[in-house]
Amino acid sequence: MYFEVNGKQAFASTGGKAFNNQLPTVIFLHGSGLDHTFWSLQSRFFAFRQYSVLVLDYPGHTNSDGPPLASIEGMADWLHDVVEALDVQNISLVAHSQGCLVALEYASRFKDRLRSVSFIASGLATPVNDALIDAAENNPEAAIAMMLSWGFGPAGHLHQGPIPGNSMVAGGRKVMRGNVPNELATDLKACNAYQNGKQAAAAINCPRQVILAGKDRMAPRKAGMELVKFLNEPELHIIEESGHMVPQEAPDQCRMLLRDFIFSHNPA
Amino acid sequence: MSDFFNFDTLSLHAGQTVDKEFGARATPIYQTTSYVFPDTDTASSIFNLERGGHAYSRITNPTVGVLEQRIAALEGGSAAVCTSSGMAATFCAITAILSQGDHIVASSQMYGGNISLMKNTLPRFGITATFVDPTDTDGFRNAIQDNTRLIYGELIGNPGLDILDLEAIAAIGAEHHVPFMVDATFNTPYLCRCFDYGANITIHSVTKWMGGHGTAIGGVVVDGGNFDWGATDKYPTITEPYAPFQGINLWEEFGPSAFATRIRAEAMRDIGPSMAPMNAFLLLQGIETLSLRMEKHRSNTEKMLEYLSNHDRVSWVSHPSMPTHSSHELAKKYLPKGAGSILSFGVKGGRDAGKAFIENVELASHLANVGDAKTLIIHPATTTHSRIDAEALVAAGITEDMIRLSVGLEDVRDIQADFETGFRAAKKVSGA
Repeated sequence: MYFEVNGKQAFASTGGKAFNNQLPTVIFLHGSGLDHTFWSLQSRFFAFRQYSVLVLDYPGHTNSDGPPLASIEGMADWLHDVVEALDVQNISLVAHSQGCLVALEYASRFKDRLRSVSFIASGLATPVNDALIDAAENNPEAAIAMMLSWGFGPAGHLHQGPIPGNSMVAGGRKVMRGNVPNELATDLKACNAYQNGKQAAAAINCPRQVILAGKDRMAPRKAGMELVKFLNEPELHIIEESGHMVPQEAPDQCRMLLRDFIFSHNPA
Repeated sequence: MSDFFNFDTLSLHAGQTVDKEFGARATPIYQTTSYVFPDTDTASSIFNLERGGHAYSRITNPTVGVLEQRIAALEGGSAAVCTSSGMAATFCAITAILSQGDHIVASSQMYGGNISLMKNTLPRFGITATFVDPTDTDGFRNAIQDNTRLIYGELIGNPGLDILDLEAIAAIGAEHHVPFMVDATFNTPYLCRCFDYGANITIHSVTKWMGGHGTAIGGVVVDGGNFDWGATDKYPTITEPYAPFQGINLWEEFGPSAFATRIRAEAMRDIGPSMAPMNAFLLLQGIETLSLRMEKHRSNTEKMLEYLSNHDRVSWVSHPSMPTHSSHELAKKYLPKGAGSILSFGVKGGRDAGKAFIENVELASHLANVGDAKTLIIHPATTTHSRIDAEALVAAGITEDMIRLSVGLEDVRDIQADFETGFRAAKKVSGA
């Protein structure tokens, strides 16, 4: 679905059902350099169970007009503008990696319509090393390879996956190639610059859920537990066999955890 | 630094999750038609493409799925769909995006089945083709029409062995926003990964070198995931709502695997050319040794080229690795590890001498296949390409005296000794 935000065209997949702002809405936020297709094994499930679904492409990413946004705070503001533009009510926010930082900011500042937040594979901050940022700007293929290599756990590296015939790593590479160099580099710099995680987490008061991955090399368990600590006793789950790309590597477990949490706190 | 597995490792392991119950190291053969659903919600969500999983083996099967993911990994594609044969793969891939009134620009030098499909069968359904000399890259551009929806060719043409200029033709496709589909059977991803040079879709008859042992028929379509279907309105089967799945927009939902998903959702469901699990198992066994076999194919081919080039009963020899071949430079660019193990040659004395040669060799098998571990020979003009007319024969680079040799993995000294028997018989017939 294309719609206008701040005079620019934005895109959100609606999971195969027309968007209806009268229904409780699950909003999915993707990670650095990715897009809405990252969530295909979660989004349709909710769309066909009496929820509206918005799987956003951030500005500049795949189908949404650019330029990409330079700060996590700016992305949270843009998300708020999306919510206002579509008059979305009763929101469950589901975020992965960079999206979690956006969710932290959004949930700490725009509480009125928020019913729950699910953080997947993230800490309070996402420090990015200079070599990766440099590669994103000057050698995007190397940056993509690094991110996918670190991002996927053993199953991804062996091109196993939940959809028969599909390679998660190769699919991710194709998506990211459409979002370099500018979008990826801008995303990584925004992540690296974000410092407000502790304060934001402490300010969130809606039901919150954290899903971590046991084989996550991008947001290791130690970092994830920092997020848990400052969110003040969120519902916590750790999927031991998954790498960082939980919604793709462990889609069934991830979907069931989201289902139980969202059905409970934001019923359709 | 990335730490992805390399080709040989992927050939052995990609796609397989070791089963948790018994720990079987080899991929199990799931010889089943269907799968027990744990509950109705799971069943409906699989049918509605909300989640992965298996419902019926015409659509997906766990053993076939391992093969699909292994080939996708080796090719660098976003997704793969296996079919009952290479021709089924070609048909499914074409009909996933072309409909009545659409047009293909295709190489004129292809397997006879491919030519017949586009010249005889598809026109009955309103899909037409223009055939272009594969060495005339500009010819591909000049043949594009307003209704062209596909550029198609074999990287190594069968049997003339001319090489497509992948990058140049891919650029023409991109310029006109038309996908470039390559039959990569003769090269396999070991010799060339066509997506690295801009191809958008590859087709394989995995019956051939991928399987490599002549034991199972199979095909595969690999989605490169690198074509922007949404940038044009030319491909409504990918970008517009698909009624059988509640109006799903495959491009929106699945992005880089939208094309493969269309094949799965339509061709495998409505037409049903599915691969048998047993065949998938046999083909997986073959792929485990793809690198080893291709390397031996290459070294034996080099030795046979030297042998035939110096033989007094041979009138000509053709292979892209030879400096005299018109595609030699392209072969060096796209196929640096070897230009395949098919070569062609002429036996002095013409058609009758060629016939005598084929009938008197014994180790080399006279049959209609290529890419077996065993050495194979055939006379294309009277067999594989016999159903195409004289004009198309010339366009395909086929002569009356041509013998196509698929070099196998035997000790090359034994192949050469066998050929000596054939050449002696040919000499008797020709009398020279």
